[in-house]
Amino acid sequence: MREDDAGPDKAVTRRHFCQATGVAACALATGGGAIVSADFLRPRVLFEPATSFSVGPPDAIGVGSVLDFPEHRAFVIRLADGFRALSSVCTHLGCVTRYRPDGEFIACPCHGSRFALDGEVTSGPAPRALRWLQMALSEKGEIVVDTAGEVAQGTVFKF
Amino acid sequence: MPGNPVSEFRLEGNSDARAVPKRVALIRREEPARLLEDRDELLTTAPHLLLREVIVVQLCVTGLAVASLLFDAPLEGIADPTDTPNPAKAPWYFLGLQELLHYFPPVVAGVLLPALAVVGLVVIPYFRINIEVVGFYERPRKRSLAALGLATALVCGFLVAYRVWSVLVPTLLIFSLTALPAVPRCPAGWKRRLSRIPLSDWIMTWFVAVVTILTLIGVFFRGPAWAWTWPWRDGIF
Amino acid sequence: MDILRAITENRIWRSVVRHGVRATNRNRVMVVMENVFLHLHSTKVRGRSMELSSTYYLGGLALTLNAILTATGLMLMLYYHPSVPQAYRDMKELQFVVSNGVFLRNMHRWAAHAMVLSVFLHLLRVFYHKAYRPPREFNWVVGVFLLLLTLLLSYTGYLLPWDQLAFWGVSVGTNMVRAMPFLGPVVRFHLLGGNIVGENALLRFYVLHCVLLPLALALGIAVHLWRVRKDGGVCGSSGLRRSGAGQPRE
Repeated sequence: MREDDAGPDKAVTRRHFCQATGVAACALATGGGAIVSADFLRPRVLFEPATSFSVGPPDAIGVGSVLDFPEHRAFVIRLADGFRALSSVCTHLGCVTRYRPDGEFIACPCHGSRFALDGEVTSGPAPRALRWLQMALSEKGEIVVDTAGEVAQGTVFKF
Repeated sequence: MPGNPVSEFRLEGNSDARAVPKRVALIRREEPARLLEDRDELLTTAPHLLLREVIVVQLCVTGLAVASLLFDAPLEGIADPTDTPNPAKAPWYFLGLQELLHYFPPVVAGVLLPALAVVGLVVIPYFRINIEVVGFYERPRKRSLAALGLATALVCGFLVAYRVWSVLVPTLLIFSLTALPAVPRCPAGWKRRLSRIPLSDWIMTWFVAVVTILTLIGVFFRGPAWAWTWPWRDGIF
Repeated sequence: MDILRAITENRIWRSVVRHGVRATNRNRVMVVMENVFLHLHSTKVRGRSMELSSTYYLGGLALTLNAILTATGLMLMLYYHPSVPQAYRDMKELQFVVSNGVFLRNMHRWAAHAMVLSVFLHLLRVFYHKAYRPPREFNWVVGVFLLLLTLLLSYTGYLLPWDQLAFWGVSVGTNMVRAMPFLGPVVRFHLLGGNIVGENALLRFYVLHCVLLPLALALGIAVHLWRVRKDGGVCGSSGLRRSGAGQPRE
């Protein structure tokens, strides 16, 4: 049976069917391979530093002090109204900011962004305020800061 | 054949084009065939090209070896995720980009503009303006300069709005050079040479100038907190 | 001369080299045609294309630098472990302990900078000579792709010393990747193998820099040079005809 006898666009010949099935199988295999590879590339376990850390008992921190924890990228600040924890990661490009006691502001060395003690941007190219972090009191009576837990701006903790 | 008198010319008819070609050239004695273009001399690759390639390799290796003996690659302290150096600079070929970051948000300076540059480069051979080698002032349209002026004004307005002086200056400079032949007082020599440069060359030159200036600023003129420094006074960061 | 004759006229030599050694036209053509490493060249070239002002040999320079980088890189790999903090200690070892370690590392570093520069200059040379015009358009696109690969190679290599310069340079760069809409954070996570520039990032950048990107570059160069041949050979300043479209096909 020649292909010309197949009729105008209606009948599916055996050849067409086999070709279509073959191509579809190859496409499936390729697509499946790509998906499996992409999944392989995504790491399932991360050996990264713990996101929570302990600061110590609340009484050890005086009112008006600003503690800098660069290895955890967080500031712990105690003011008259209570405790607050700010992320020290600059919101511009992720550099680690530092507290400047002489001017009582937080400064980023990369592009000169400055933040007030409530995280708001006072100057520089940073687009957003610093993140406020979750704080809690552990069973041992120590303050624990969770750098992965973000709270609303202005959330003050009282311990 | 040159030299044959016309009277000896005979026309043969034959349907086989391979035996008798259909095209006929009539060359009279007073118009001998002239060599219009010197056909490039064809040389064998071995030894001519291969020898030159070997020389390139030798010069390259020698130059690099001398540089490697004289200048050391930098190695700073071990990576410390808690200690951001001030300033934290990318490798030199990305410092132009980092300088752009000073003016525009990361989405624009880090993603949009580089993507635009790459796409712009890729599509160059597919636009007619880049194929024709016609000087900007050799084009038949008289309104080219006005259109270019409008485009430049838009770009400059954008640059002024974002206070990107370092890009504004080369833009204005190159536009003045482009517009110079239209000025009546322009010297004839300059006018002749400048008017023959095609628009695509002007645009590429502008692009190269901007990239070069941004990179130079990022390398030499930016210090702690990405503030402006003078390298001869404060050193290079 | 008898020694030369003895060498070149015995069976062993003849089984390896299939052409004569005398400087005849035939032998010269065979040298290129019968050699697997050389036969990408055409057997004959135009005299004009070999002039310095034709191409400034920038493409060839980029290729040479690539070969130097591959050779020095391979040697450096023998003393380098892509783990934290061993990578930095290996850099110190290369500097102070390994014979000619400083020289090798310097060669690699300066060749890398020179390659970025020469690839860029090659792009400018091709542009100003208008050598991208038909039938060479696709080769220009391949060339831009090679430029991006060169920059990526340079960038992934930058992290490997694991010093402050490397770490923060890459941190800033990957944070810029995060600024890409929709795909940014995903791409950054896969590139770094995590959320931070750490051991996973070093290992991934190492594999990219030493295996994947060089492979891609080699394939790209193969296509690029093949297209040069197919499009009629190198196009120098003779491509700048005043009148307009395209250059003559050979």
